[in-house]
Amino acid sequence: MSLRPALILPLLAALPGLAADDLSEKALSILDRRCFECHSHSAGKNKGGLVMDAAQGLTVGGDSGTALVAGKPEESLFLQRILSTDEDEMMPPKGDRLTAEEVATIKSWVSAGAKWPASRAAKPVSGKYLPGRINDEDRSWWAYRPVVRTEVPAPALPSTGSNPVDRFIDQRLTKEGLTPAPEAARTALIRRVTFDVTGLPPTPEEVEAFVKDAAPGAYERLVDRLLASRGFAERNARVWLDLVRYADSDGFRADDYRPTAWRFRDYVIRSLHANKPYDRFLQEQVAGDELFPGDPDALTGTGFLHHWIYEYNLRDARGQWTTILNDVTDTVGDALLGAGMQCARCHDHKFDPILQRDYFALRAFFSNILPVEDRAAWTKEEAETHARKLAVWEKKTAAIREEIAKIEQPYRDKATTRSVGMFPEDIQAMINKPAAERAPVEAQLAALAWRQVDYEFARLDRVIKGENRTRLDDLRKQLATFDAEKPEEPPYVLAVREPARTASPVTIPKKDAAIEPAFLSVLSKTVPAAPAVIPPAPEGVESSGRRAAFARWLTQPENPFTARLAMNRLWQQYFRRGLTPYASDFGRLGEPPSHPELLDWLASEFVRLGWDVKAMHRLVLTSAAYRRSSDHPDPSAGRTKDPLNVLVWRFQPQRLEAEQIRDALFAACGDLDAKKQGGEGALFSEPVRSVYTRAIRNNRDPLMDVFDAPEWFNSSSSRPVTTTPIQSLLLLNSPFMLKRGETMARRLRAELPAGTPEQHVARAYALLHARAPSPKETARGAAFIRANTKAAPEKAAATAAFNPEKIPNRDGQAARLDMDHRTPLVAAGTEGLDFSKGFTVEAVIVPRSVSDSGALRVIVAKGSGSSKESYWQLGITGMRSRRAPMVLALQAFGTLKDGSFSEAVHFSGLRIEMNKPYFVSAAVRYATPGSAGEVTFAVKDLSNDDEPLLVDKVASGLVALPDNPHPVSLGGRASSSTSGFHGALDDVRISSGALGTGDLLFTSEDPSPRTMGFWRFENKVGVMSDSSGRGHLLSMGMPAANKPGKTEARSDSKPGAPLSPADRALAAFCHAMLNGSEFLYVE
Amino acid sequence: MNDPRCHRYEKPRSRRDFLFNAGLGVGSMAFTDLLARDLRVPAAGTPKRDGIGSIAPRAKSVIFLFMEGGPSQMDLLDPKPLLQKLAGQRLPESFGKVITAMGEVGAPLLASKREWTRHAKTGQWFSDWIPHIGGCSEDIAVIRSCKSDGLNHSAGVCQMNTGSIIAGKPSLGSWVSYGIGSENRNLPDFVVMQDNQSSVVNGPRTWGSAFLPAVHQGVRIQGGTEPIPDLLTPDAVGPEMQRAKLDLIGELNRDYAGRFPDQSELSARLAGYEMAFRMQAEAPGVVDLNGETEATRKLYGLDDKTTETMGRLCLLSRRMVERGVRFVQIFHGAGSKWDAHAKIEDNHSKLCASMDKPVAGLLKDLKSRGLLDETLVVWGGEFGRTPMSEKGDGRDHNPTGFSMWMAGGGVKGGQTIGSTDELGLRAQETPLHVHDLHATILWLLGIDNMGLTYRYKGRPERPTQNEGEPYKKIVG
Repeated sequence: MSLRPALILPLLAALPGLAADDLSEKALSILDRRCFECHSHSAGKNKGGLVMDAAQGLTVGGDSGTALVAGKPEESLFLQRILSTDEDEMMPPKGDRLTAEEVATIKSWVSAGAKWPASRAAKPVSGKYLPGRINDEDRSWWAYRPVVRTEVPAPALPSTGSNPVDRFIDQRLTKEGLTPAPEAARTALIRRVTFDVTGLPPTPEEVEAFVKDAAPGAYERLVDRLLASRGFAERNARVWLDLVRYADSDGFRADDYRPTAWRFRDYVIRSLHANKPYDRFLQEQVAGDELFPGDPDALTGTGFLHHWIYEYNLRDARGQWTTILNDVTDTVGDALLGAGMQCARCHDHKFDPILQRDYFALRAFFSNILPVEDRAAWTKEEAETHARKLAVWEKKTAAIREEIAKIEQPYRDKATTRSVGMFPEDIQAMINKPAAERAPVEAQLAALAWRQVDYEFARLDRVIKGENRTRLDDLRKQLATFDAEKPEEPPYVLAVREPARTASPVTIPKKDAAIEPAFLSVLSKTVPAAPAVIPPAPEGVESSGRRAAFARWLTQPENPFTARLAMNRLWQQYFRRGLTPYASDFGRLGEPPSHPELLDWLASEFVRLGWDVKAMHRLVLTSAAYRRSSDHPDPSAGRTKDPLNVLVWRFQPQRLEAEQIRDALFAACGDLDAKKQGGEGALFSEPVRSVYTRAIRNNRDPLMDVFDAPEWFNSSSSRPVTTTPIQSLLLLNSPFMLKRGETMARRLRAELPAGTPEQHVARAYALLHARAPSPKETARGAAFIRANTKAAPEKAAATAAFNPEKIPNRDGQAARLDMDHRTPLVAAGTEGLDFSKGFTVEAVIVPRSVSDSGALRVIVAKGSGSSKESYWQLGITGMRSRRAPMVLALQAFGTLKDGSFSEAVHFSGLRIEMNKPYFVSAAVRYATPGSAGEVTFAVKDLSNDDEPLLVDKVASGLVALPDNPHPVSLGGRASSSTSGFHGALDDVRISSGALGTGDLLFTSEDPSPRTMGFWRFENKVGVMSDSSGRGHLLSMGMPAANKPGKTEARSDSKPGAPLSPADRALAAFCHAMLNGSEFLYVE
Repeated sequence: MNDPRCHRYEKPRSRRDFLFNAGLGVGSMAFTDLLARDLRVPAAGTPKRDGIGSIAPRAKSVIFLFMEGGPSQMDLLDPKPLLQKLAGQRLPESFGKVITAMGEVGAPLLASKREWTRHAKTGQWFSDWIPHIGGCSEDIAVIRSCKSDGLNHSAGVCQMNTGSIIAGKPSLGSWVSYGIGSENRNLPDFVVMQDNQSSVVNGPRTWGSAFLPAVHQGVRIQGGTEPIPDLLTPDAVGPEMQRAKLDLIGELNRDYAGRFPDQSELSARLAGYEMAFRMQAEAPGVVDLNGETEATRKLYGLDDKTTETMGRLCLLSRRMVERGVRFVQIFHGAGSKWDAHAKIEDNHSKLCASMDKPVAGLLKDLKSRGLLDETLVVWGGEFGRTPMSEKGDGRDHNPTGFSMWMAGGGVKGGQTIGSTDELGLRAQETPLHVHDLHATILWLLGIDNMGLTYRYKGRPERPTQNEGEPYKKIVG
C-alpha cells in the first residue's frame, strides 16, 4: 500500500468565529493551493470535467455530477473526495493530504452557504471550461448556422464573366485593390487541369490538339472530356479514400492483407465515374444495409465503417471494441461533420461547443454495428444462380466434405477450447452462450473474439499429422476434382450489419446513464440535445435503424455541414487551400471562410442541383479564377496584401501528390499499364495507377513516404508538402528512379530512332512539361547529352530486366518475378558445384500464385528436368498436386537406395499461403547404407514474429545426385517455360551439406565456408552479384559470359537490351529532368 | 512548408562545389575540414517554438536503448522476495483480476532464478544478468514503477514510441526533432538503428513522423558502406556522370525557383539536395569505426562475438551524439526478441549477454568524454513481464508495472524511483505512465510537453496527448 500515511480525517465541526467573507477567502485560497492545479481556468485544466475557480464550475460539477451543494457538506462531492481514503477516488490523488484544519475550513464554508469571496470573480473571464454550457455566441459560429444563399454579385471587373465563382472572387479582389493575373498559357492550362482532374499528365498529342483548337469553348470541351474520363474517378477516389482511411491491411503487428478491401475502392471509383449523387453516396456508406437492402453497391459502401485497424490476437476484446467504435466516431466527425469529435471523447471540447455527451450521442448511432466479411455484394439473381450451382456441387461432394469435417472436428474443438480460453472470463461466457441468448453487445464482443478462433481454424493443417493428414490430403484431392462444377467465390466485401433491432446501450466511461443517439447539441434548442427520432429499419432488416436516421439527417438540405464540407474540399483540391483552411475541422481553431458568401452559394447550388458532383467540379474548373496564370505581370501588390494568395489573384503553383508523381513517372516513360481498372490491388512495383496498388499500412513504399502520402490510420483531409534530403537521395540515386530515366530514354529512342539530341530534348519537354523548350533549354539539354556520351559509364545504371521489390518486414530489395516471366535467373559457373555431401537450399519468398495443375512453381533448381540425368528443384506445389496443394516440396531425379536412377519427390506438410513473406529451406541428407536419408523442410512466416519456425522432416531414399551439366537457376528451371516462380524472391543461398536449423539463414546470416552461392539482389553490391564471394553472377535466362565490352552504335528499345553510350547519356538527361521541380509541380 | 529549416538556402555555388569534392572522396582532409566547419553550428533560423525556452535544458541529446519485446523486471532490476516464496502457487486473490496477452490466467507464479547484487553505495539491486550495467549504478536512476496501456506488442511499442497505443501519432524522436532540431545539419536529427534484420513491430512507422513534416521522421541507419538508403552515387553512374547530372538538376531547379521567388518550398528543394550532399559526405564517416582505439573497442565488447553487434550500435550512438545528432534510438532484440513467453532463462540470458557490456561501455565512454552530462540514456522496453509463468518457464506481457532506467542528461544517478507491489505485477509508489516518462525526457531536453504543439487538422496536437507530467525529482 501507499507509503503516505492515510490520514483518517474526522468530519470536524465547523470552525466558529470567522466572518463569512473571511471564511470564503480562506476556503478559496486552500482550494487554489491544493486543487486549482488540475481544476481551473487559470491552470487551463479541467480534469474529470471539473473546474473549481468559478462558482458555476462547482455547482454544475464535472463528469461525476454536481460537486458542491451549498449548505450541505455531505452532499458536496468535492469535499467527500477530499475526505475519501479510497485510492481511486481520493483528492488530491498525489502528494500530501489536506490537513485537518484545511478540511474544517472548507467544510465550514460549504455549511455556511459557500459564498463566493468578493476578491474573486464568480465567473472567470474565459468561460470555456465551464462544463455543459452552449450559449448563443457558440451557436452563431458560422459553421453551425444554416447555409444562406446570397445573390450572385454583379461583375466587378470588365473581365468578370458570367461564372458565379468569378463574380464572388472578383468582387473581393476589387475590394482589396488587387487585379487578377491573366489567363494561363494553353500549355500550362492543359497540364494543370489534366493533372488536377485525372491525376495524370496530358499526352503531347492532347496538348497539341488543345493548343490548336481555335473554336470557342475549347477549354470547356477539354474540361468535359476530362470529367467524363475514368481518370476523374481514379483521381478523386484517392481524395475520398484518404478521408475514410481506406487501406488493404490490418495495420497492427501482423498487418494482415485484407483480400476483399479493394471492392470498396472500386465502389468509390465506380460511384464517382457514374456521378452518383453525393447524398446517395454518403447514405450508402453510413447505412447502405439499412436504407437500400439488397443493393450490392450500398452494401459495399458500408465498408466505410470497416476500415479501422485490427489486432489479430488482442485478448482484451472490450478494449479493442471500444477502440474500433472510437475510430468510427472520430472518422465520422472528421469526414462527415468537419468537427473535432475526438477532443470531446474525454472532456467537453475546449474550444468548440461540443460536449462530451455529444461524442457518445454520436457514437450511439454506430455502436450497434457488427463488422462482417462474409456478405456478398451481388444482386438477387446472381445470388440465386450461385446458390443453385452450389447446391449441385454440395450434393455431389457431400460425402467427401462430411469425412473431411469429421477428421477436422477434433482439431477444431481443441483449437476452439484453446483460443476461447485465452479471453477474460466474461468474454468466454459470451462466446459460450447460445447465440440467441446474447445481448446485442455480447453478440458484438463474441463475434470480435471469434475472429481469433477462425484464425486458428485457418491454420489447422499444421497440426493435423500422420494418418489423418494423409487421408485429408487424399480427400481434398478428391474434392478438387469437382472444382470445375463449383461456382466462383462470391464477391465478398468488408461490410457491417447489426446483431439486432434493439441497439447496444452507450455510456460515458465511469458514468452509468445510457446515452441515446442525438445530433450535436449546438444545433439543438436544448442542451444536451434531445434524443434523435429513430424510425425502425424496414421489415426484415435486423437492424436498429439508427444509422439510417443519421444518414438522412446528414443528407437533408438543411444540414449545415455536408454541402459546405464538400464544397470547401472541392475548393481545396483546385486552389490548394480551402475557402476555410482546415478541410475536416470548421471549428474555432480554424479561420472563418475567406469568402463566406461564395462557400454558402456553392453549398446551396450543390444541393439545388441534386448533389451533382461533376456539375460542381465543372463550375469551378471553368471559372476564370481557376484558369489564371501563376505568373502575375505585377505581383508586388498581391505579395504584400495577400501573400498566401487566399483571394486567388493568381494561380498558386503546387507540387504534385505522391500518387500523381508515381503515375506521371510511368506515364511519361510510356509504360503505364492503363488496362488495370480495378480488381485486387497490384504490387507497388507494377506500373499501374497508384490507386490500384495495395495500401499496406505498415509497409509503405519509400516514394509514398517522401512525398507525404498519409498513413491511412485515420481520416486525412489534406497533404502536406515537405522536402527532405532523403527525398532528394531517393530521386537522385534510387534504382527505381535510375530505371525510370533509362525507360524514358528508350521511349525517346523508339519514337525518334534517328533523332538528334535537340529533337530528344524537345520531345522530353513535351512529355514532361507539356511545352516546347526555349532555345537555351534545348541547347543546354543537347550539350549535356553530347558531353556525357563520352563520360557514360560502361554499364547501364539499372539492370533493365530486373524488377526490384520490397519484401514486407524485411530490409533491402528482392527480385520481382511476374506471372508471365519465362526466364529464370541463372547463376554462372554453378554447373560443377559439389552436391555430394548433401545440400541445403534457402530463400525468402513472397509467392503470388501457384499453378492450376499440380506442377511445382520452382524457387531454385539445378538441372533440365529430364529424367535422363539428375536434377533437383525446390518449389511450391500447384492446386492439383497429387499429394498436397500449396506445400513446399523438393523434387529430384537421382540414385535411390535400391540402386535405381529415378524420381524422388518429397512433399513437406508445410503449407504456403499466397502473398505472405516466408523464409523457406530444404536440407537434404542422403541415405547411406547405415542410415535413412532425410529432407528437413523449414518455413517461417515473416509477417508475424509470433509464428515459430515450422519444421517438417520427410524420409528420403536419395543416395546421391550425380553431376549434371546445368547451372543453378533461380525462380524457375532453365529449360522450362512453365515452371517459373511467381512472386518476390530474395536471399537465395545454397550450402554444401544439410544445415541444422540453428545454422539457417533465418537465424544466422554470418558467412559460412559451406556457402556455395548467395544471391541477395542488393543494389549496393549489384543486384546480380553473388554475396558468397564465389563469383556466381546471375543473368537473365543465360549464364553470364565475360564478353569484352563491344560498344553498339544504337541500343535496342526493348527493356533488357543494353543501352548505347549515347542513350546512357540520354537516360541521364531524362533522369535529371525527372528530378526537376517543373516536372514535380503544376503551375 | 512547415519546416523552416528547409527554407535555409545557402549560396550554392562555392559551398556545393566544396562539398561535392568532399563527397567524391578527395580525401580525409576534406572530411575533417568539413566536420570542423559544420559541427555544433546552432540551427540558425530555427524559430523558437511554443514550449521551448521556459525550461532550462539539462540534456542535449537522447540515446534510447529500446529492448523490444519487453524485458522482465523481476529478473533484472526489481527483486521480489514474495515471488520466490509463493512460486508455484496461483496469484493470490488479493491481487485482483488480470487480463494477460496469452490468456494463461491461472498459471502459477514463477520464481526468479537470478542471483542479486545490491550496489554498496546506491543500494540499487541488479541481477547477475546485467553485472556491467550494475557497475554503473551511480549514474543510473532505476524507475521501477513504469506503466503503459498496451497489452500487445503492437500497441505497447506504438505507445512507448508515440504515446498512443493506436497508430497515427508522431514518435518521440520526431517531436524532439520538431521541437529543437539538431546541431548538425549534415546528419538527420533522429537516427534509428537495430541489431538484426527483423522488422521492429509495426515497421518503420514506429519512428515515423505521422502528421509532423516528413523531415522529422527517424532515419534508419544500417550497417555496411551505405548507412542510409540511396546515399551513395551508384557505381553504374560514376562520379563524372553524377556531377554532370547534379549540375543540370541544379540549373533546372534554380530556373524554376527563380520564376516563383516567393514560393519558399522551391528553394527548399534546392536545399534538400544540398543537405543530401552533406549527408553523403558525413554519414559514411560516422559509421566508419577505424579511428576508434583498441581500448574503446574493447570497452564496447567489439572484440567478442556475443557483444559485437550491440557494441557497434552503442559506439555508433556515441559517435552520433558527439556530432550533434539529437535523438538516437537503438532497437535491441528487434522483432520482439525479448518476448520470453517460454524459456525465459534461455531467452534473457542470451539477450542480456549481448547487451549488458556494450550498454555499460556506452555509459562509461560517454562519462569519460564528458558527454554523459549532456546525453540522456534511456533503457527499457514496451512493457515488462508477469510474475505468473507462461508455458511453465516463460512470462507473459505486463504493462501494469515494469522497470526502466535513465542515466546522464541531468538525471541523478544511484536513485531508485517508485515501486511495484510485492509480486512486481502493478506499479505502486510514484507510478509513471508512458506519458509521464515521455514528459520527463522532454523536460530534461528543455521541452514543455504541454507547451509544444503542432496544428494538425486545425487542432493543437501535443507530444504526450495532453497527458503526462515530468517527474522532476529525477534530477535529485
